[in-house]
Amino acid sequence: MESTETAHEHPGGQAMAGDEAGHEESHAHPRYMLVWLWLALLTVAEVAIVWFAFLPRVWIVVMLLFMAVWKALLVALYFMHLRFEPRRVALLAASPLPLAVLLILAVMMEYR
Amino acid sequence: MAGAVTYYAGRAPERGLAVYTQKVGMWVFLASEVMFFTSLIGSYIILRFGASETWPLPGEVLNIPVTAINTFILICSSVTMVKAFAAAEVGDKRGTRLFTLATALIGSTFLGVQILEYRELLHEGFGPSSGLYGSTFYTMTGFHGFHVFSGVCCLFWASWKAFRGGYDNRAYKGLEVLGLYWHFVDLVWIILFTVVYLI
Amino acid sequence: MATIVAEPTGRPVVREPHELSFIRKYIFSSDHKVIGIQFLFLSLFFLLAGGLLAMMIRWQLAWPGQPMPLGSLFPETMAPDGIMLPEFYNSLVTMHGTFMIFFAVMLLLVGVFANYLIPLQIGAPDMAFPRINMASFWVAVPAGLIALASFLVEGGAAGAGWTSYAPLSAMPEASGVSLGQQMWIVSLVLLGLSSILGSTNYITTVINMRAPGMTWMRLPLTVWALFITAILALLSMPVLTGAMIMLLFDQTIGTHFFLPAEGGQPLLWQHLFWFFGHPEVYVLILPAMGFTSEILANGSRKPVFGYHAMVGALVSIAVLGFMVWGHHMFQSGMNPLLATSFMVSTMVIAVPSAIKTFNWMGTMWRGNLHFHTPMLFAIGFVMLFVIGGLSGIFMASAPFDIFIHDTYFIVAHIHYVLFGGALFGIFAAIYYWFPKMFGRMMNEKLGKVHFALTFLFFNLVFFPMHTQGLAGMMRRLYQTTGYEHLEGLQWTHVLITISAFGLFLSGMLFAVNFAWSLFRGPKAPANPWNATTLEWQTPSPPMHGNWEEVPVVYHGPHEYSHPDVADKDWLAQNERPDVVSPARP
Repeated sequence: MESTETAHEHPGGQAMAGDEAGHEESHAHPRYMLVWLWLALLTVAEVAIVWFAFLPRVWIVVMLLFMAVWKALLVALYFMHLRFEPRRVALLAASPLPLAVLLILAVMMEYR
Repeated sequence: MAGAVTYYAGRAPERGLAVYTQKVGMWVFLASEVMFFTSLIGSYIILRFGASETWPLPGEVLNIPVTAINTFILICSSVTMVKAFAAAEVGDKRGTRLFTLATALIGSTFLGVQILEYRELLHEGFGPSSGLYGSTFYTMTGFHGFHVFSGVCCLFWASWKAFRGGYDNRAYKGLEVLGLYWHFVDLVWIILFTVVYLI
Repeated sequence: MATIVAEPTGRPVVREPHELSFIRKYIFSSDHKVIGIQFLFLSLFFLLAGGLLAMMIRWQLAWPGQPMPLGSLFPETMAPDGIMLPEFYNSLVTMHGTFMIFFAVMLLLVGVFANYLIPLQIGAPDMAFPRINMASFWVAVPAGLIALASFLVEGGAAGAGWTSYAPLSAMPEASGVSLGQQMWIVSLVLLGLSSILGSTNYITTVINMRAPGMTWMRLPLTVWALFITAILALLSMPVLTGAMIMLLFDQTIGTHFFLPAEGGQPLLWQHLFWFFGHPEVYVLILPAMGFTSEILANGSRKPVFGYHAMVGALVSIAVLGFMVWGHHMFQSGMNPLLATSFMVSTMVIAVPSAIKTFNWMGTMWRGNLHFHTPMLFAIGFVMLFVIGGLSGIFMASAPFDIFIHDTYFIVAHIHYVLFGGALFGIFAAIYYWFPKMFGRMMNEKLGKVHFALTFLFFNLVFFPMHTQGLAGMMRRLYQTTGYEHLEGLQWTHVLITISAFGLFLSGMLFAVNFAWSLFRGPKAPANPWNATTLEWQTPSPPMHGNWEEVPVVYHGPHEYSHPDVADKDWLAQNERPDVVSPARP
């Protein structure tokens, strides 16, 4: 099933060892359909929250943001294989995020 | 003496990130894409934060159900993309062909729905010059759409290559790198959908 | 001698089996060396163009309202009877900044030297993505052409300053420039694309293409500087691109991002622009710092003092450089808390900058100094960078900055860091690497005269601007007459303008030297400067693919006057330890 090259391309594969998807054949391939199901469920949940809105708006915003980050992480970690790459790749991928947050928060302070 | 000059002593040369070059390149490029979308989405967040009283509530202007379905469509295309890569990696040429073409077609569907949405909104009189909401909405979704369009073009090219048997368990890097781009575009849409349509 | 445990063999370089056609070899080439040289000619052209614009600006400031020499060549819309119009003056100021910053200095530093040096210095046969590299050049060319062509369209070239503050830049009815401003935007969006493609390439190449044994701490400081620069450009350029696109939409399809009448935010433009603009400042100086470090070590025949501290300083300047953009906006009425934090973070940058300066002095200290032309320019860089850096600290302080905001003090500062700093570094680098690029030496005597005149006239031009600024001379001012507080300053404008003409002419001396040496210079040996880094260990100019076989690196980057080596005062990075003649048996 798994060629030697696959093992070579995923040197961070041992990160999988302890986690719930640690089957032999899914070493390089997590259960993509499971991730897909999660993404679909979260999308439904997001829309549902907006439609059945009786909570305070701040709560809704926080919950929506939480679910958006969750979905984004699912895509990045499993579809983009960040979970199985060396940690330095994840660091490279995450490097612009502090800058993005800094830019947005600093400019928002102009309104305070 | 020997300590003064640092000699190469048979140590394996540093292999960078221990990841093949095309993949590193794509991740580096995606880092700059993150900053590009930061400038667009960030401007939206900032402008909206400054005018929160007058901003229309979700669903007042935009059609949430249609876009929710469109979001689901794009998520599906991500799954087929990753399936195409997985098929190529184990040498399943039929699966590679099927899933690559499916990704391209589903991506085109997303674009089609977006074009219909734009037409509908323009018809209702909501255009890029309709206040800050219109300005930010069209700029953000438009540039996301442009990225989807570029991705779809590459995907059709990749499908053509797959049908000619260009991908197998030794040559799947191109699909993985294209997949990274495609998932990134999906990821941006996930953020955009929440921030623009739902909040 | 230490015994070599395992002798790694160099991999043979894969070469194209057939001869390439002229077009593939020199025009649409994917060889990083050819692309670097293409960038060199493109950016030197823009250096000349930007210089000519500066001469016209200086003429107007010294003798306002007088017809320019050759002024009759200009059409009525620019300079009727040779007397330039205020609108044309605005375009000149804007395009001088745009040409110099984006097309001359940035392309010289990043386009030329990152392309040419990175693969050679890390021992790679080419860039990681040669065809993307070619694309990055062929996107920069139309960008430059569009910027040039904008002078010819109706309304003239962009006139809102190189910073293009909104709403002036977003409202054609206010600035009188419509198409020119849009062409400016399109040009810089293309240049941003070129820069992102290039940076992606440089970063990937440095990460993944290093020769065996070329560890991170054996990278020459030039490569370190170019690597950090590429990261800065990669993460800041897209923000400018996004802002530019919004500005373009404001002008063309009626959006309201930066137009306050419709609820837009002019300050948002300033924030986005300077979020790019400040890292850009470091894009323009860090590579010059890298060249200087390397050339000072070579000219002093000593290793770079404090190599690790130099690398650390580069990295911390880059990180801090992203947190200080607000110091360009103290005057905007920003949140005082925000202003204070920008002020503090800016002052902190003085620490790594000082580390670098002292390490340069430490490198030269008690060295066996060789004053070849590159060395002279490198020393000039250090001296002028100190002046520009110190005035930068003045400006970091918000109360003082509010006093000198938009005066000639700022103009003096930016020229001390961008001309005295970046351009001196570039001249040093061109004199230093010209033999490698073209296989011929540049004329040493002319080079020294060029240095002396440039150094003299540079200071005569830009030092008095500090005083002018403190006396209240406003930046981008068209007419110096008619202001009571400026009347006593007019003679300084004349002095500066005459010196500026001298500066331009000494630049011409460089052009002559460059052109003459290109064809008539004496043939250069592989290693004319007795330098240690890898690019000197292959013929000048290197063949396609750079190496006979991929070099294996055994030593640090700047091993000059090594105590273990007897017969020479340098130790190349790829010299096998068992063939070096030992000083003590």
